[in-house]
Amino acid sequence: MKEVTKVTGTPINRIDGIAKVTGKAPYSMDHPVKNPAYAILFKSTVAAGKIQAIDMTAAEKAPGVIAIITHQNAPKLNVKGGLRGGALLQSPEIEFFGQHIGIVVAETFEQARYASRLIQVTYDKKEPKVDFEKLAGQARLPKDKEKADARRGDVQTALRQATYKVEEVYETPIEHHHPMEPHATIAEWNGDHVTLYNSAQIVNGAQTATAATLNLKPEQVRIVSPYIGGGFGSKGGQWANLALAAVAAKHVNRPVKLALTRQQMVNSVGMRQHNRQKISLAATADGKLTALAHETTTHCAINDEFVEPCGDCSKVMYDTPNSLITYRVVPMNLILPTYTRGPGKSTGSFALESAMDELAYKLKMDPIAFRIKNEPDRDPSNGKPWSSRATVQCLQEGAKAFGWENRKSEPRQNQQGNYWIGYGVAAGTYPAHQRPTSALVKLKRTGDHVAATVELAAADLGTGTYTILTQTAADALGLPIQNVKVNIGDSSLPPAAGAVGSVGAASYANAVNDACVKLTQELVVKSGKQFFVRPTAAQLMRSEKITDYQTRVDSKPPESAEAYSAHSFNANFAEVAVHQSTGMIRVNRFLAVTGAGTILNPKTARSQIIGGNVWGIGMALTEESVVDPRWGNFVTRSLADYHVPTHLDIGHLDAIFINEKDEHVNTLGVKGIGEVGIVAVAAAVANAVFNATGKRIRELPITPDKVL
Amino acid sequence: MDEHESPELTEDEKQLFADLMPEDLTEIMDKGVNRRHFLKLMTLAGGGILAAQSAVAEQVLTRSSSETLPTELVPDSLENAVTVACKVNGKARTFTIDSRMTLLDTLRERLDLTGSKKGCDHGQCGACTVIVNGSRVLSCLTLAASCAGKTVQTIEGLAQGNRLHPMQEAFLKHDGFQCGFCTPGQICSAVALLDEAKKGHASYVTGNLRPPVGPVKLSNEEIRERMSGNICRCGAYPNIVAAIQEVHSGQSVEQVFRSV
Amino acid sequence: MRPFTYTRATDATSAIKLLAENPHAKFLAGGTNLLDLMKEDVERPTALIDISDLDLNDIKPITAGVNQGGISLGGLGKNTDAANHPLVRQHYPLLSQAILAGASGQIRNMATNGGNLLQRTRCPYFYEVAMPCNKREPGTGCGARDGINRMHAIFGWSEHCVAVYPSDLAVALTALDAGVIVRSANGQQRRIPIADFYRLPGDEPEKDTNLPHGELITAIELPKNRFANQSYYLKVRDRASYAFALVSVAAALETEGNTIKQARIAMGGVAHKPWRALKAEQMLVGKEATEANFKLAADAEMADAKPLTHNAFKVELGNRSIVLALRMAVNGGKA
Repeated sequence: MKEVTKVTGTPINRIDGIAKVTGKAPYSMDHPVKNPAYAILFKSTVAAGKIQAIDMTAAEKAPGVIAIITHQNAPKLNVKGGLRGGALLQSPEIEFFGQHIGIVVAETFEQARYASRLIQVTYDKKEPKVDFEKLAGQARLPKDKEKADARRGDVQTALRQATYKVEEVYETPIEHHHPMEPHATIAEWNGDHVTLYNSAQIVNGAQTATAATLNLKPEQVRIVSPYIGGGFGSKGGQWANLALAAVAAKHVNRPVKLALTRQQMVNSVGMRQHNRQKISLAATADGKLTALAHETTTHCAINDEFVEPCGDCSKVMYDTPNSLITYRVVPMNLILPTYTRGPGKSTGSFALESAMDELAYKLKMDPIAFRIKNEPDRDPSNGKPWSSRATVQCLQEGAKAFGWENRKSEPRQNQQGNYWIGYGVAAGTYPAHQRPTSALVKLKRTGDHVAATVELAAADLGTGTYTILTQTAADALGLPIQNVKVNIGDSSLPPAAGAVGSVGAASYANAVNDACVKLTQELVVKSGKQFFVRPTAAQLMRSEKITDYQTRVDSKPPESAEAYSAHSFNANFAEVAVHQSTGMIRVNRFLAVTGAGTILNPKTARSQIIGGNVWGIGMALTEESVVDPRWGNFVTRSLADYHVPTHLDIGHLDAIFINEKDEHVNTLGVKGIGEVGIVAVAAAVANAVFNATGKRIRELPITPDKVL
Repeated sequence: MDEHESPELTEDEKQLFADLMPEDLTEIMDKGVNRRHFLKLMTLAGGGILAAQSAVAEQVLTRSSSETLPTELVPDSLENAVTVACKVNGKARTFTIDSRMTLLDTLRERLDLTGSKKGCDHGQCGACTVIVNGSRVLSCLTLAASCAGKTVQTIEGLAQGNRLHPMQEAFLKHDGFQCGFCTPGQICSAVALLDEAKKGHASYVTGNLRPPVGPVKLSNEEIRERMSGNICRCGAYPNIVAAIQEVHSGQSVEQVFRSV
Repeated sequence: MRPFTYTRATDATSAIKLLAENPHAKFLAGGTNLLDLMKEDVERPTALIDISDLDLNDIKPITAGVNQGGISLGGLGKNTDAANHPLVRQHYPLLSQAILAGASGQIRNMATNGGNLLQRTRCPYFYEVAMPCNKREPGTGCGARDGINRMHAIFGWSEHCVAVYPSDLAVALTALDAGVIVRSANGQQRRIPIADFYRLPGDEPEKDTNLPHGELITAIELPKNRFANQSYYLKVRDRASYAFALVSVAAALETEGNTIKQARIAMGGVAHKPWRALKAEQMLVGKEATEANFKLAADAEMADAKPLTHNAFKVELGNRSIVLALRMAVNGGKA
C-alpha cells in the first residue's frame, strides 16, 4: 500500500480554483432554470411614514409585466421568522428610506425594471430620525444583556489620579459590505416545496429563517449555495429579498430570478453602523495601565436592535485593574445594522489601538514595549487562562521582519521626496469558537481505488472551506486529495455551523475529522481484527473488501474548551507615505503577524489574512457611507461613490503565521483567521499616519482633506 | 434557409443587397441567398437603419428567421426587437433581443454564458469585463445590439479544451481570488492588458509618456494601475498582481508562505 | 431603461438628421455614461442612434487653417487610442496623462473623445431620481446645495446647481485651448472654442454645454503649442485610481530661460465646467518659474473660491494642487 503524504498544512491550490478561473463556478444567479421570470424590488423614497396609495396603472400595462406585489396583495408572512431588517411587504408602515415596498415580476429584467419606474407612490410622511449628530444624545442602554455596562474596579478615580492619560473620541462611519456578488435569489417551487439558489454564509440558518417566514416547515425549503460571491457578514443572517423571491415565484407560478441592484444593496442587506467611541486610558509613568474605559454610542433600526461589540478588544487585550465597557444606542430610521467583517473588533480596535499609540507617545515609550508591558497572563474579563496567546510573539517577530528599528519615534522625521513616511503598529484579537456541526463521510471502493465523499451544509465564501476539508478528509482517511470530493452549500446535507464569526474552519474541519476518525474506528471494529498500528480507512476498505461504507457524526466543541479563553491574536505593521501637498495616503507596506493555532492551508490562509488587511486599509483610508441628514437616503449608493480599495491602493502585503499548537481550543487546534485579519488594521494605518505627519486622525476614513 | 434555395429577388431586395453587400451581389443573383449571406445581412443591418425602417429588409429578415434563428426561447413581448449576429468565443451566434438588453445580460440570460458577472451593472467594478474585437470592455455598459458583426471573447472562451490559458493557470497558482466572483473579469482584463503592454500603451503611472512607442515591460505598480478597473472585494490584489506579472514577464514569481 | 428604438447609423448625415428630428433621441457612442444614466432612469431617450460605425476616429495633423501644425482627434476615436497615439504622446503628453487619469482601462477602451466631453455630472442627487435636482428635473431644487456637498463646486455655482463636471480629458483640453468641431443637420461644420463649449449652471443647470440638440461632435482640434516639455496633469482623489477628482489640475508652461512666457492652468472637480485658472496664468506670465511665484498664482486664483458646507478643503487643496502641478510640469513630471 502506498504511503500517502499528509497534505493538511501544505499550500495546495484551491480545490474550487479551476471552477473559478474558468467561469464555471455557479453563483446564485448562474443556476440554470427553465422559463424564469425576472423580479425587481421597488423601494420607499421616504424614511418614515406610511404608504397612502400606490398607483400601478401604467406599470401594470407595461409590456411583459406578469405581476406586481405590494403589501396590499402579499401573502401573510411571519415577520419574526428570523430574516433580518423587516421590509417583508406586510404593512404600509415605512421605517427607513429604501425599504422594499413592492416587487414587479416580468418576462425580462429590462421590462421589470422599467415597469418599476412607472409606479407612483404617495406617502403620509413623518419626520424621520436619521441625523446621528442630533440624536446621539438620546442614546439609551441596549436591550441586549451582553451590552450591559461591564465595570471592574474604579476607572474614574484612576483617571483622576493619573498623570499620563488619553481621553479621546474616535469615530468610524457607516460602512457597507458590498460583496462583489449582489444578493440574489432564484426561487423555484415544486408543489409546496421551494428551492432557493441563494448565497448563504449560514446555510441552515437561511433555511430555517426562510421557512419560518414563509410559514413552512424547514424541510419544505432547500437552500442551494455552493459558491458565494463574498459575504463579509451581509450573507450571514438573511434579508427580506430571499423570502420575497419565493413569494414572487409562488405568485406567478414560475421560477423567479430576483437580484438586488448594487444601488439597492445600501438599504437592503444591513451595514456597519456609525460608532462613536470614547476611550479613556490612564497609565503610570513607567507605562503600566491603571484604567481603560471604552464607551460606545451608536444607532440601530427604529424597531430592531443590533449593536456592534466595539468594546470586546478592550475587555481582553490589556491588563488593567480598572475597566469599564459600555454601550448606548439610539434607534433611527435606517436599515438594521448587522455583522460586518471583524464585527466590533475591527472598529473597536481602531479606537483602542489608536489610544494606546497616543498614550505610548505621551509616555515616550515604544508602542510595542508599551503593549508588552501590559500583556495580561489571563483573560482580564473572566480570569480564565488563555488557550494560547501569541500577542507578544506577534509584536516581536513582526518588529523584526518589518524593520521596526527604522521607525523614527517622532513624527515628520522621515521624508522621501514629496512624502512623509510613517510606521505604525497595532495589536488585535478575535474569539475562537467551534460550533456544533454534523458531517457525513461516504467511502466507495472500486478495485483498489477508494474514493470519499464528504457532505455537510457548510459554506465557502472564498474562505477555502472546500480546500481545507479536502485536505482534512484526505489525511484522516489516508487518501490522496483527488480521491476526496467535498459537497457543501446545500441545506439538504447534514446541518453545519455558518461561515461567520471565524467559526467555519474550526467547526467544519473538526467535524469532518471526527467523522473520518469515527468511520475508521467503525471499520476497525467491523474487521474484527486488532492492529498495532492503526490502518487508514482506505486500507481497511481494501483489506476488508468493503465496497461502500458511510458514517455521520454530530460534532460538538470539547467541553474542556470552556475552561479556557480562546482567541486568535495578531499584530499589524504599516508603512504609509503621505503626500505633503495633496494629503493622499498610500500604504506602501503592510505586515500582519497572526497566531491562530493550526493553519490548515498556508496558501488560502495567507489570502484570508491579506484580504482582511485590504478591508482594513479600505476602512482606514477610503470607505464611508454617507446619509443625507434631511431625508435618510445614502448619497454614496454606488461603487463610484463608495470607495473600496482598488489594485493601486494596495502596496506590498505580507503575512506571517506564528507556529502555534493550541491544545485546548479544539481537537485540531484551529482558531480561525477570517475576522482577525481586519482587526487592528485601521489603527496600524492611522498610527503610521501620525508617525508620518504628526496628525492624529480620530475619524475614519482618513481621506486627503483630513490630512491637509 | 436552405443552402440551395434560390429565391427570386424583387427589385427592392436586389437594391438592399446591392447597398449592403455589394461584393456578394453577383453570387446572390447567380445562386440565390444562402445562409452565409443571410447572416451577413443580419450583421450589417442588425437592428440598424434598414432593419428598423426598411420594409424590404424586414421581409427578408422575417422570411428567413424561422429557419435561421436559434430555437431558443424568445420572450413573447419583446419591444424594439433587434436581431444580432456576432461571434462569441469563436462561434457564430444569432439572437433577437429587446434593444435594451446589455451584452452582459445577453451572455448570461440568453447564451448560457454565466461566467461574466454582474457586480454593479454600472461600470464601477469590472466583474463583467469581456474582450470585444480584442479590447477589454465592460459588457454591462455595452448594448448587445451594438455587437453585431463583432467578436466577443468571455472567460469561457479562454481555455483550449482542457488546457487552461496561462493566465488562468497563474491565478490558480497564486490564489488570485477568494470568492471568485470578480475572477472572470479580472482574468479577461489581465489577458487583454498583456496585449496593451505589447502595443506599448501607457498608464497614469507611466513616468515619461514621450519616448518612442514599443512593447513595454510592466512593473507591479503599472499592473496595479492598469488593473484598477477590476475591484476585488476579497482583497486578493497582491496575488492577482503576482499572477499577471508571472505571465507578463515569463518569469516565475515566488510564493512565500511565512511562519515563525 | 425606458424602451427605445435602436438604429445603427451608416453615415453622419443621416445620423444627424435622425437625431435632429427627435428631441428625445440620443447618439450612442461608447455608452459608458449614457447607459449608466439610462439604467438609473435619469436619461430617458426614446431612440438611440448608434454612431460607432461612423468613420470619425482618425488622429491626424492639421495641415491648413488657423490650427495648422496642430492635430485633430476624431470625435469617435476611443480614449485609449487618443492617449496612446504617438502624435498625442509626443506633442500633447498633458492630454495623454489626463485621459489616463480617468476611469479604467476598460472604460477608456469604450469611451470616445466626443462622448467624454458630454459626460454628465456624478452628483449623487442628479443620479438618484427620488432626490430633487434642477439639472435632472428643472424646478425641483438642488439637493446638494444644502445637502452633502463634499464633492461639489467651489467656483461658479448657483443656487440652482452646485454640481461639478467630471471629465479629466476636457480639463486638459481647456488648458490646451482646444476647439470642438461640430456638424449640424444642414451639413455645416463649426468650431466651438472649448472655453465656450461648457457653461456655468446659472438658472439653467439642465444645460451642461452650449451644444444644441441635433449636432454631432466630429473632431477635437488641438492647436500647436510649446508645452510638451513642461506639462503635468495632477489628479487628487479619495483613492489611488478609478475615482473622480476631488481636485485636478492641468498645468502647462512655456519658458525662456527660467522666465515663463506662457502658462496654462485648468482645474477639474471645482466647477460646473473645466475651470480655466486665468488669474493664476496672468500672475505667472513674465515671472520666474519659482515655487514662490507658483504660490502667488495659486493664491490669486483661489481667492475667489466660494466653498459650500462640506468642501472648504478644496480651496486649500486646489491651492496646493496648482503649486504642485506647476512644479511637476517644470520638473518634467517629477516632484
